[in-house]
Amino acid sequence: MDGPMRVLVTGGSGLVGRAIERVVKEGEAREGEEWIFLSSKDANLMSPEETRSVFQKHRPTHVIHLAAMVGGLYKNMRQNLDFWRNNVFVNDNVLQTAHEFGVVKVVSCLSTCIFPDKTTYPIDETMIHNGPPHESNFGYAYAKRMIDVHNRSCFEKYGRRYTAVIPTNVFGPHDNFNIEDGHVLPGLIHKTYLAKKEGKPLQVWGSGRPLRQFIYSLDLARLFLWVLRDYDEVEPIILS
Amino acid sequence: MVGGLYKNMRQNLDFWRDNVHINDNVLYMSQEFGVVKVVSCLSTCVFPDKTTYPIDETMMHNGAPHESNYGYAYAKRMIDVHNRACFQQYGLRYTAVIPTNIFGPHDNFNIEDCHVMPGLVHKTYLAKKEGKPLQVWGSGRALRQFIYSVDLARLFVWVLREYDEVEPIIGSVGEEDELTIKDAVDAVVEGFGFKGEVIYDTSKSDGQIKKTASNAKLRKYLPDFKFTPFIAAVKETCDWLAANYDIVRK
Repeated sequence: MDGPMRVLVTGGSGLVGRAIERVVKEGEAREGEEWIFLSSKDANLMSPEETRSVFQKHRPTHVIHLAAMVGGLYKNMRQNLDFWRNNVFVNDNVLQTAHEFGVVKVVSCLSTCIFPDKTTYPIDETMIHNGPPHESNFGYAYAKRMIDVHNRSCFEKYGRRYTAVIPTNVFGPHDNFNIEDGHVLPGLIHKTYLAKKEGKPLQVWGSGRPLRQFIYSLDLARLFLWVLRDYDEVEPIILS
Repeated sequence: MVGGLYKNMRQNLDFWRDNVHINDNVLYMSQEFGVVKVVSCLSTCVFPDKTTYPIDETMMHNGAPHESNYGYAYAKRMIDVHNRACFQQYGLRYTAVIPTNIFGPHDNFNIEDCHVMPGLVHKTYLAKKEGKPLQVWGSGRALRQFIYSVDLARLFVWVLREYDEVEPIIGSVGEEDELTIKDAVDAVVEGFGFKGEVIYDTSKSDGQIKKTASNAKLRKYLPDFKFTPFIAAVKETCDWLAANYDIVRK
């Protein structure tokens, strides 16, 4: 496209959003690029009207869509319905509004936790829809998978190259460190900080046996910029 | 939002979005208003494309649906996701029925957009009226299980009153009653007493070749349920179209 790139980042105040902001500020932004970082204070993306207002205000040419209802294992298990519904609303509002405003490219954010539970390993990008996700977070998982369904059908109908990345377990500064609701790394960091401060044992939930690939948020942020600029496929890409 | 093969292939995005909106609105409002039970309607066309046969209720999410209608298919599958999550979070026993190919009076008979049976019925009616050949889209090889709308209606009423599971239930004739599209063509031709030529346009897609579904779960609950014989049900549908042609949806 000609003309300056104006990038709107939804979920800009979160773990990945802050990492992208930092990477952009520390020299990865290009000449003439404008970067706008949104948080839930700027718009409730579950509302189509508020989503449209924020697109109207900023007129982005590109979107990095990170906003979502997220949580660790235990929160997901309690609220699969809310994770399903709220994320479908947010995603539909952002993707549909982006299309209506002529946004050239949207890069959404999926997760390896949405892949089929019963599967061969390693999992790859072609396998997302090959079976049901793990029971513990099926609401969130299906909502995220449907981003890929939306992208594919939007490309089919309008030729829009909206795509997605699939990180593994992300960690870094600006995470949600809430012990009840956060993910495993921030949970461990917070608990260890408190255990040390209070002179108590560190209580780890679970046996310690599960396996994960961890990606530092700053590394993921650099990869996001590459996907935004240079990755042309509609099929998602694993970043790990 | 529904449509036959050719309409789905053109508009997967709309089939996905519009149906998700409707389904969420109905299911969520039902919950807010304290509705005791919702019985939604899925379809065997939402099942995985690559699969073993016969398909059954446990297999719905086991792989990607057919490429031709994945927008519609995912939207319908998400009804089951919503039902399960809603049961988990609130204990509500909302469920769903999975019919195979339904036909009968009051269908959408629009030739461009409709399903196979109403399409054949309408085209045969016109072919007979205009003294032209009957043009069938596809090779006639594809296999389907057809359920008469009036039989499905009786099953819906039973599900509403007596079926307590959240997991959906297939509402269909058995595997032994699976027919080819050509069998359906022959039944419609007989239903109208059509004597003209029948031409199969093999340049048009057949869609999914096979979607064989098991009605074992239904038979476990209702071993004595009687389906209307296919030829008689098709004849009733043909007669209905002829008698109501001016007002049918086309």
